[in-house]
Amino acid sequence: MLSEHSLFVLQMEQEVIEADIVLPTHLSFKKVQMYEKYPKGQARGRHWKHLKQIIQAENYQNYPPDESNYVNIESPPSMHPCKRICDITGYEAPYYDPRTNLRYANADVFKLIRSLPNEYVQRYLALRNAAVVLK
Amino acid sequence: MSNVVVLDNGGGLIKAGIGGEREPTAVVPNCVGRPLSSKKWLIGDQLHSPSSDLTSASLRRPLDRGYLINPDLQRDIWSHIFTSLLPLKNPSLSSLLLVEPLLNLPSIQRSIDELVFEDFNFNSLFVADSPSLVHLYEASRSPYGLVSKTQTSLVVDCGFSFTHAAPVFQNFTLNYGVKRLDLGGKALTNYLKELVSYRSVNVMDETFIMDDVKEKLCFVSLDVERDLQIARRSGRDNLFRCTYVLPDGVTHTKGYIKDPDEAQRYLNLEDGAQSPQLKTKEGMDRLEVPGKSNDRMRIDLTKNEFGLTNERFIVPEMIFRPADLGMNQAGLAECIVRAVNACHPYLHPVLYESIILTGGSTLFPRFAERLERELRPLVPDEYQVKITTQEDPILGVWRGGSLLASSPDFEAMCVTKAEYEELGSARCRRRFFH
Repeated sequence: MLSEHSLFVLQMEQEVIEADIVLPTHLSFKKVQMYEKYPKGQARGRHWKHLKQIIQAENYQNYPPDESNYVNIESPPSMHPCKRICDITGYEAPYYDPRTNLRYANADVFKLIRSLPNEYVQRYLALRNAAVVLK
Repeated sequence: MSNVVVLDNGGGLIKAGIGGEREPTAVVPNCVGRPLSSKKWLIGDQLHSPSSDLTSASLRRPLDRGYLINPDLQRDIWSHIFTSLLPLKNPSLSSLLLVEPLLNLPSIQRSIDELVFEDFNFNSLFVADSPSLVHLYEASRSPYGLVSKTQTSLVVDCGFSFTHAAPVFQNFTLNYGVKRLDLGGKALTNYLKELVSYRSVNVMDETFIMDDVKEKLCFVSLDVERDLQIARRSGRDNLFRCTYVLPDGVTHTKGYIKDPDEAQRYLNLEDGAQSPQLKTKEGMDRLEVPGKSNDRMRIDLTKNEFGLTNERFIVPEMIFRPADLGMNQAGLAECIVRAVNACHPYLHPVLYESIILTGGSTLFPRFAERLERELRPLVPDEYQVKITTQEDPILGVWRGGSLLASSPDFEAMCVTKAEYEELGSARCRRRFFH
């Protein structure tokens, strides 16, 4: 009984393997066949790379540094001192507080920053990557 | 002689034509777009046909930051241009003069060669860079000018994807002196989009409309501090306020400026040593247009429109101060000084005296004036600073290419298809010296 059943299963599987259960590749009623739309061996979708990836693949670090290429013709940061911006108001800040290192625009803001708890001061500094990080 | 196709493949616009002619045959956007209403991607000039509605169209560009990343898309656009816009029957009988960005990446050069020789079957290829072509064109325009006598110039190409300051010496670009600023027309449009979307209407998807706004309304301020003060005023004292009406898709499909006179008022704002307060008051009286004042102030709610004030000069300002955008790069003036300093000291005076501005982003009013003001304090005072603007900065590169293509030695400088097939891409490229 059992062996008969297993034989049946085996037969079925053989049949399944042989039968063309998967859809035939050519469907006469379709205007555009699947194999035309998605040719085999070609990845679907995006097969181009972003510029960043292309530059990475170029391995510019192996190039001689005195030869100019895409990476080293980039305009370097300005030599001029950058504008000081008030940490609280966003106006131009002529002053800075030596105790907290915050920049401030006027006396009102100064009063405010002196009343701030240290935790808040550190958060303001963290906004412009100037916070003291204890390790 | 077989004809030469000159192709300036810019990030924003493709300029294509036949060498030897003065005007390019086709100037089309280098992108494909799909309007919301359709499923078909429109290529190049089809985007500008009056029937297509480009509001919130999605765009695909083959170039990213000026460099070709999607050759398949580029092939589609080129074949559209070659077959329907140019009279190009058989590419295998013609040569191609292609403008590539400076210091193109080798892998991109290979894919371009493949495109040109294997997909399009061009007979021969010449690769040029924009600074040397601009130099060539300017030198030919004034044969007795400084540029052609010294064969030296400093070309500032402020295009769609980026800005290059490139010294040219004896008709060749000095690669070691080139400096690149990663800011161009695209970044400026995007910044304007961001500002307007934050302050009034969401226009983040409206690239074409905002391009139009930028081209028509933006200008370069000569004194930012003062202009910011003026832009803060209310009512008619604010010389920069103007209104742009968005297309409604029914009566008009293109956006337009509500009151062109109002938009031009900033031009009357002279600058100089006068006290700004006094001067603008005078300006006001002169500019008063009776009867229009009420109309101007009212925002018409039946139309979709937005007002612009300081956005108009803050946007082009980025080229001069990229730090305001959070970019860690020096502004254009410093960029130029560094490009010059990288060259031999004997060249410095000539380079400063023959600065040529090209590229679409130099079309902002007062661009050259502002650049000169920024540059003057940075240049040693025994040198003169002279900035030349091109008559048509968008087509300057193409015209130089057209000139080069019509020169008798052109054929000899090209790499032919046979050479490419024999020697491969990298070997052929060495002939172009860049």
